[in-house]
Amino acid sequence: MTFTIVHLLPELLGTYGDRGNVDVLSWRLKQRKIQHEVVVVHVGEDVPQGGHLYLLGGGEDDAQIAAKEILDRHGVMRKAINSGAHIFAVCAGFQLLGAVFPASGNREISGLGILPVETFSGDPRSVGELLAEPTIPIATLTGFENHSGQTRFLEESQPLGRVLRGVGNSGDIAEDGIITDQIVATYMHGPALVRNPELADWLLSRIVGEMEPLDASVFTALHDERVKAVK
Amino acid sequence: MKLRIIILLGNFAGWFSRASKQGSGVMVTGRVILKFDSRAAAKLSEHRRVVLISGTNGKTTTTSLVRVALETATEVASNTTGANLFAGVTAALSSNLRAPVAALEVDEMVVPWALAQTKPDLLVLLNLGRDQLDRLSEVRVVAQKWKFAIQAIPAGCRVLADADDPFVVWAARDCPNVTWFSAGSLGHLDASTCPVCGDILIWKDQGSSFLCTCGFGKPSADWVLSAGELHGPLGQRVAISSAIPGVAAHSNAGRAVVVAAMMGVNPEVAARAVAKISSVDGRFGKLRIGKTIFRLLLSKNPASWRETLATSSAGPKQVLLVVNALTQDGRDTSWLWDVDFGPLSGRHVLVTGDRRLDVSARLVVEGIDHQVVKDEAEAAKSFGSGEADLIASYTAFHRLAKSVKKS
Ligand SMILES: [Zn+2]
Repeated sequence: MTFTIVHLLPELLGTYGDRGNVDVLSWRLKQRKIQHEVVVVHVGEDVPQGGHLYLLGGGEDDAQIAAKEILDRHGVMRKAINSGAHIFAVCAGFQLLGAVFPASGNREISGLGILPVETFSGDPRSVGELLAEPTIPIATLTGFENHSGQTRFLEESQPLGRVLRGVGNSGDIAEDGIITDQIVATYMHGPALVRNPELADWLLSRIVGEMEPLDASVFTALHDERVKAVK
Repeated sequence: MKLRIIILLGNFAGWFSRASKQGSGVMVTGRVILKFDSRAAAKLSEHRRVVLISGTNGKTTTTSLVRVALETATEVASNTTGANLFAGVTAALSSNLRAPVAALEVDEMVVPWALAQTKPDLLVLLNLGRDQLDRLSEVRVVAQKWKFAIQAIPAGCRVLADADDPFVVWAARDCPNVTWFSAGSLGHLDASTCPVCGDILIWKDQGSSFLCTCGFGKPSADWVLSAGELHGPLGQRVAISSAIPGVAAHSNAGRAVVVAAMMGVNPEVAARAVAKISSVDGRFGKLRIGKTIFRLLLSKNPASWRETLATSSAGPKQVLLVVNALTQDGRDTSWLWDVDFGPLSGRHVLVTGDRRLDVSARLVVEGIDHQVVKDEAEAAKSFGSGEADLIASYTAFHRLAKSVKKS
């Protein structure tokens, strides 16, 4: 069995360097000589079933709606989840997995309904460095957020982190993202898995099992520098 | 107060700012003038023909080339330092009161104001792409601003717009007086969906053309730049060349010659003048640090990094990347992952700047050998004598370009 990472719709959901998350996961697997393949799904191509980890990035309103419609077709995302796949989603990708997300012109768009969250338009836009204490046993999370949506949980859920600096899901709650058995979602781009090597490995370990540690000092140095710069 | 006296005050304030080394003084001059007369830009535009130039990339270079092209026939007032907000535009208009023509670089967000104030003869729209997403808005929001402004465009103003850019086409196509320019393209990083209906935009012919099922698509161009020759709507043919390296500079040279033709200037004469310009506002200027001669290249956003890396790959083997993330650079470095750094492969690459670790992480994943250094001086020590390209983001570039202008 080859570990398969599926990079979904980069032309639609790739506004904030989201390719970086895919590239760094692949790089970390390669350093450990773990067999894997990256499947990039472009607009017009079928979303493959049987992938192990699906990645969704950030995007503008129309692109987000177009992406949702593609992922809704034949229930491909729900099928992937039902067959045990994992998802890592950032920003617009996070929002479209929920029940509803906002678009320009005061529109409310129904999401895929896979995550128990809903997102509404908020003012002002949340832009800047985001720092959060994770709810899983890894180092402090660092990223850059840029979104106008405010996201709320529809049922009791585990956030990815408790916000130390920045906004995250919503100004009044001080939480960022969500973790479920198969999904990790966040407002941290940056890209998050480059700046947070421990999150990258935690995500991979959930799927491939325990991995040997990696000597990759530049990512740790970058992480520490960003945390220090914001604290 | 009389406008002439206000300008005098502004110039004095600008001179004082320069003398006390607070800045170039242009912004101060403009601010003082606007403080005393908020309609100064409008008054300074009366009785003269104005060309406005805007877009994400190539504004400063194009404005410079347009100035040179028009100067073959007349005196031109212009902002030559890239100061393109309200104050910068006002200062440029006040810089040469005799000049019957003004060529003004205008920030994308300032286009509506500049149109209303200066009532230009010609608005030149280059391109729209992702740029400093933390500060400016998403590309569509800027395009919408342009679209509204063009719907209310002053009578008599023509538009010269890029037919290769879907956002520019969408913004400009309502204008009855639009001239389309095309220098060819290879697709667009941000135009995956149709600006009209939001459906998926279909790119054809290796990204040189686009079409949507709703009918929106690339218009047929009036002026086409292809294989070094500009073809006009009346059968004109003008040879275009540029001493500034790169594909973008070449297309900006062509565009400047079209502007000249539209403003009644002989395009052949304009093309010859434009061809001689080799450096604009410190870009591609040379700077000596230690024993190394650095050639300065500016890169601001994914589209300009792609262009610069391609241009630089024909340059010296040694290359230094300097990336900051101050307000003027954009504080978000995620764009690094939208740029293919492959062209650096096999070169001697050094990295510095406030965000050198972000760049280093990016290059590690791309598999590009490189070293992180403290600053330009340390890079120069490592390079030794010889030439190197120095590709810098906005703030680092302008700090270094100042030294080029002095030397
Ligand atoms: Zn359409």
